[in-house]
Amino acid sequence: MSLRSPLARVSYHGAARDGVGHWWAQRVTASALAPLSAWLLVALLTLPASDYTAVTAWIGAGWNPVLLALTVLLACWHSWLGVQVIIEDYVHSPGRKIAGLLLSMGAHALLAASGIYAVLRIALRSAA
Amino acid sequence: MAEFKLPPNSRIDTRAGKTHRASAGAKSVRTFKIYRFDPHAQQRPRVDSYEVDMAGCGPMVLDALLKIKNEIDPTLSLRRSCREGICGSCAMNINGLNTLACTKACDELGRGDINIFPLPHMPVVKDLVTDLTDFYAQYAAVKPWLQTRTPAAPDRERLQSKDDQQRIDRPSACILCACCSTACPSYWWNSERYLGPAALLAAYRWIVDSRDDATGERLDALEDPFRLYRCHTIMNCTEACPKDLNPAKAIGAIKQMLAERQH
Ligand code: SF4
Ligand code: SF4
Ligand code: FES
Repeated sequence: MSLRSPLARVSYHGAARDGVGHWWAQRVTASALAPLSAWLLVALLTLPASDYTAVTAWIGAGWNPVLLALTVLLACWHSWLGVQVIIEDYVHSPGRKIAGLLLSMGAHALLAASGIYAVLRIALRSAA
Repeated sequence: MAEFKLPPNSRIDTRAGKTHRASAGAKSVRTFKIYRFDPHAQQRPRVDSYEVDMAGCGPMVLDALLKIKNEIDPTLSLRRSCREGICGSCAMNINGLNTLACTKACDELGRGDINIFPLPHMPVVKDLVTDLTDFYAQYAAVKPWLQTRTPAAPDRERLQSKDDQQRIDRPSACILCACCSTACPSYWWNSERYLGPAALLAAYRWIVDSRDDATGERLDALEDPFRLYRCHTIMNCTEACPKDLNPAKAIGAIKQMLAERQH
């Protein structure tokens, strides 16, 4: 029980003066991912063969590694923003919320780094 | 963690509901299933059934509720005042949708039983009466009044062009019934920190008011991941509004204004 006034209670700690960057990034990454995922899907479906050599050769060819690395980065970024919203929506205990947010941040960073590393490794090997 | 289950004293006791039968001579009987809860009774909520003879009853859901209260069961509690859709007191959940009992005709609700519950996810004071203290505080928090630094002309009102008036015309028609906010899932999960569609529509109404000088401060006060950005454009608010207002669109416009001032 608290005797704080309702106005003070709903005002909480004031406005964080934040959120517009998150909102913007969510939309920008989504609009970039739309053509990128279409490109990836079409490219993979129209590959003449889908065995290991054919796919790794495709990954290393021309601009493909650049676009692939970009897709991985943006997909992880977009997913990180989305998971953050879900955690903030549903998890209310402060400790678990912060733990969840950090965990999601770490997992997404790890995913992005390993994805980009994999693309580069294949691309540089086929370039060499 | 997230709460997926209601606390035990909010779960309906399906065996406790009482049935009030219509009298033998009743001509066109319709059953109203109404949520009942009395915080002093130390009992879980229940749903009572009332058979109402619609032949002797007005057309609106509120008419039936008042008939029930006057003639069948005086212990039923509900709020109403104007009974013409302008005071906002009779908001409740009728057949799964938040709306005003006084403007919802029973005929609009098909032929079957009519289920009436209090506004969702609000503390229940008794039966259909919910505690709207925080909802009103959220309205107060957006400072819903004219803020100016420009002195008014000494001999006349603050003038507004016709176009300027148009921008606030619809948003000003909000009657603060809370149908929208209590239909919003984001408001259910975070009503302590998310202002909700009704308060945000009111904020918008003052942000776009051509006579107001505090537009920037008003936007500052909304720039917050919880106060504003909990809105995920689910649009339940617009769907629910009995006055046909569009809080979701107003919230979108606020987000756009906040984005515009970044670049
Ligand atoms: S549009 Fe926003 S305010 Fe309206 S119901 Fe959806 S989340 Fe709630
Ligand atoms: S916007 Fe509509 S539903 Fe929401 S409080 Fe105002 S009148 Fe009621
Ligand atoms: S009684 Fe006033 S809005 Fe229904």
